[in-house]
Amino acid sequence: MTSHHTKPQQTVVPRFERVDVIGGALMVFIAALIWFGASALDGGTLVRIGSGALPRGLAVLLFVAGAAVLVQGLLQGNDRAERVYLAVRPSAIVLAAIVLFGLFIRGGNFGLFSTPQLGLIIVGPLTVFIAGSATPEMDLKSLIVLSFGLTAAMLLIFMDLLSVTIPVFPKFIQDPLTFAIGIDALVRIAYVAYAAIAAVLYVFFFGLPEMRRG
Amino acid sequence: MADLFNNLYVGFAAIMSVQNVFLCFVGCLLGTLIGVLPGIGPLATIAILMPLTYNAEPIGSLIMLAGIYYGSQYGGSTTAILVNMPGETSSLVTTFDGHAMAKQGRAGKALGIAAIGSFIAGTFATFVIAGTAIPLSKLALSFTAGNYFALMVLGLALAIVLAGGSVVKAVCTLIIGIVMALIGADQITAEPRLTFGLQILYDGFDIAIVSMGLFGIAEILRNLEFPEQKPFVGAVTGGLLPDREDIKQSAGAIARGSVLGSIIGIIPGNGATLSSFVSYALEKALSKRPERFGKGAIEGVAGPESANNAAAQTTFIPLLTLGLPSTAVMALVGGAMTLHGVVPGPQVITKHPDLFWGVVSSMWVGNLMLVVINLPLIGIWVKFLKVPYHLLFPTIVLFCCIGIYSVNSRPSDVLEVAAFGALGYLFYKLRFELAPLLLGLVLGSMLEDNLRRGLILSNGNVWTFLSEPLTLALLTAAFLALGSALVPSFSKGRELLVDED
Repeated sequence: MTSHHTKPQQTVVPRFERVDVIGGALMVFIAALIWFGASALDGGTLVRIGSGALPRGLAVLLFVAGAAVLVQGLLQGNDRAERVYLAVRPSAIVLAAIVLFGLFIRGGNFGLFSTPQLGLIIVGPLTVFIAGSATPEMDLKSLIVLSFGLTAAMLLIFMDLLSVTIPVFPKFIQDPLTFAIGIDALVRIAYVAYAAIAAVLYVFFFGLPEMRRG
Repeated sequence: MADLFNNLYVGFAAIMSVQNVFLCFVGCLLGTLIGVLPGIGPLATIAILMPLTYNAEPIGSLIMLAGIYYGSQYGGSTTAILVNMPGETSSLVTTFDGHAMAKQGRAGKALGIAAIGSFIAGTFATFVIAGTAIPLSKLALSFTAGNYFALMVLGLALAIVLAGGSVVKAVCTLIIGIVMALIGADQITAEPRLTFGLQILYDGFDIAIVSMGLFGIAEILRNLEFPEQKPFVGAVTGGLLPDREDIKQSAGAIARGSVLGSIIGIIPGNGATLSSFVSYALEKALSKRPERFGKGAIEGVAGPESANNAAAQTTFIPLLTLGLPSTAVMALVGGAMTLHGVVPGPQVITKHPDLFWGVVSSMWVGNLMLVVINLPLIGIWVKFLKVPYHLLFPTIVLFCCIGIYSVNSRPSDVLEVAAFGALGYLFYKLRFELAPLLLGLVLGSMLEDNLRRGLILSNGNVWTFLSEPLTLALLTAAFLALGSALVPSFSKGRELLVDED
C-alpha cells in the first residue's frame, strides 16, 4: 500500500493490515463509543461523583492507550509488523451453530423476528453437525453418528443426572405427548432412541468394532 | 494454633458430607478430564464447566469449582510430561525435565513425583491460607474506602505487569472490562448506563457467559486454524512410585517449591507460572550438577510442580480475605461466589464460617483426591489425550450451549456466548490479553463504589485523599509497577516469561 523500503525476501505488511493498527483503531473506536454512551449521563461533582464520571474518564484513558497502540503500529518497521489473519470460515461456522442453538432451543421473540421452539431433539444434532463441519478433517459418517450420539448423551447427563430443564421437543409435539405419557418417560424414550440410531449407524458405516461396550 | 485446628475442624465438619465429597470428586475428575484434553487450558476448562456447579449449594459449588481448578492444573502437568504440550504456562517448566524423563522411560516416576510434590505443597499451602486468613481479613476490615480503592489499583497494576503481552494493550482490555462492569443499572440511582437503549444490556454482563465466550469458545476458534496434529503419546513406562534415591533428590526441591509457591501465589498476576519458573531457576542454581537440568533431572519436575500447586492455592488468599481476585481464574471463582449470594471479602469468614473453612479444607481434600484417583487413572487420561480434536470440539460446543442455557433458561444468553466468542477470537488475533478484561469486569463496580465512598468521606478533596499514607503508598507502588513494566530491560524479562504460551 505504501512504499517503505523492505529487505528483499520479506513481504511488505501494508499499514492497514497490521495487528497493532487495526487493534489500536478498534480501541479508539470503542473509546468513542463509551464516550458517546456516557455523554447523556451526569458527571456529578467530586464529592458525589455521578454515573457518567467513571465511564467518561475511562473512555479518555482507553482513547489514549488505543491511540498509542495505533501510532506504534503505524510507525513500527516492517520487520516487526504483523499481519492480521482471521480464519473466517471455520469461526463463522462454529458461531453459526451456537446462534442456531440459541435461536431455536426454546424459540422466542428476538426483536426483529421470532422463532419457534424446536427443542434439543432437533437443535442438538443440528448444532453438532454444523459445528463439526467447520474442519475439513471431519468426515460425514462420523459427524452423523456424533450428532445423534452426543445429543443422547447430553439428554442423559443434563436431564436425568443433573435434572436441568431444557426444552427437548418442538412445542407442537411436546404438549400433546407429555399429556399422554409424561415428560420424563418421553425424554428417556427419546435419548434411548437417539443412542440406538447412533449405534446402528456406527455399525452400518464402520462395521462392528472388536470390543463392544454399551 | 489451637484456633487454627479448631477452624480446620469446622471446615472438615462442613465438607465431610457424602454430597460434598462427591462434588469434590466430580470436580477433580472433570477438571482433569478436560484439562488433559490438548489445547484446553485451566481458564477455558473452568469457563466451560462453571454452569455445572450452579445447581449445588454454595459450599458444594465452590468445592466443586476448586476441584475443577486443581484438576485442570493437574491435567496440564500430565500432558506436559507425556506429550511435551503444556496445557498452560504454569506447566511449561515441567516439560523441560518431565518430558526428558518420559523419553528415558521414566514417565511414571515424573508423573508420580509431580503428584506427590503437588500434594505436599498443597497441604502446606492449605495451612498457609488457614493461618493468614484471619489476620488478613481483620486488617482488611480496618481499611478505609480510599485504602481499598488504592489496593485494587495496585492489584490490577500488578496483574497487568505480570500477565504477559503488551502492557498498553493489557491496560486497554482492563479498561474495557471495568466499563463492562459499569454497563447496566447504576448502583445508586438505578438509571440505565451505556445501555444504548437495549434491555439486554440493562441487566449487565454475566461473568459465566462472558468467560465461556471469551475463553471457551474463542479457544476452539483458535485451535481450528491449525491442521490437527496427532499428539504422539508414548506409553507410561516405569513405576509411578519414586524410589529412595528419587525422594532424596527431590525432597529439598519440594520443600523449597512449597514455600516459594505459597509466597508468590499471593502476589497478583500469574503467580502459578511465575513461581514455577523461579523454583526451576532456584533448583538449578542450588544443584551440585546443574548440567543434568533439561535432561531429566527429577528435581526439575518436583520443585516447579510443587511451587505451582502451592501458588495456585494461595491465589485464593486475596479473594477470600480481601475480596480482590488477583487472577482471571479467581475472578471466575469470585463471580460464582457472588452468584450464590456470598460476596467475597473480609466478612466471609465471620458471616459464613462453615463456607469459608469448608472451602479451605476442601483444598486439602481435593489435593488428596487428585493423588488417590489420578495416579491409578493415568492410563485412562492417556487414552483421552488421543481423542482427535475434530470429535472433541463439536462436543464442547454443544456442551457449552446446553450448559449456559441451563443456568438462566434464557436463549439470549446463548447468543451472547457466540458474540463473546467472536470478540475473544478477534482480540486474541489482535494480540490483546483477555485475562485483565475479566478482572476488570469483576472489580469494576467495587472500584467505582470505593472511589465514590472515598471521595464522599474526603469531601471531594482529591489531595486529602492522597495524603492518607497507606493510600498514597499503595498508589505509588501501582504507579511504579506499571512504570517499570515499560522499561525495556524489564519488559524483555516479561516476554521471556510468557513467550511460549
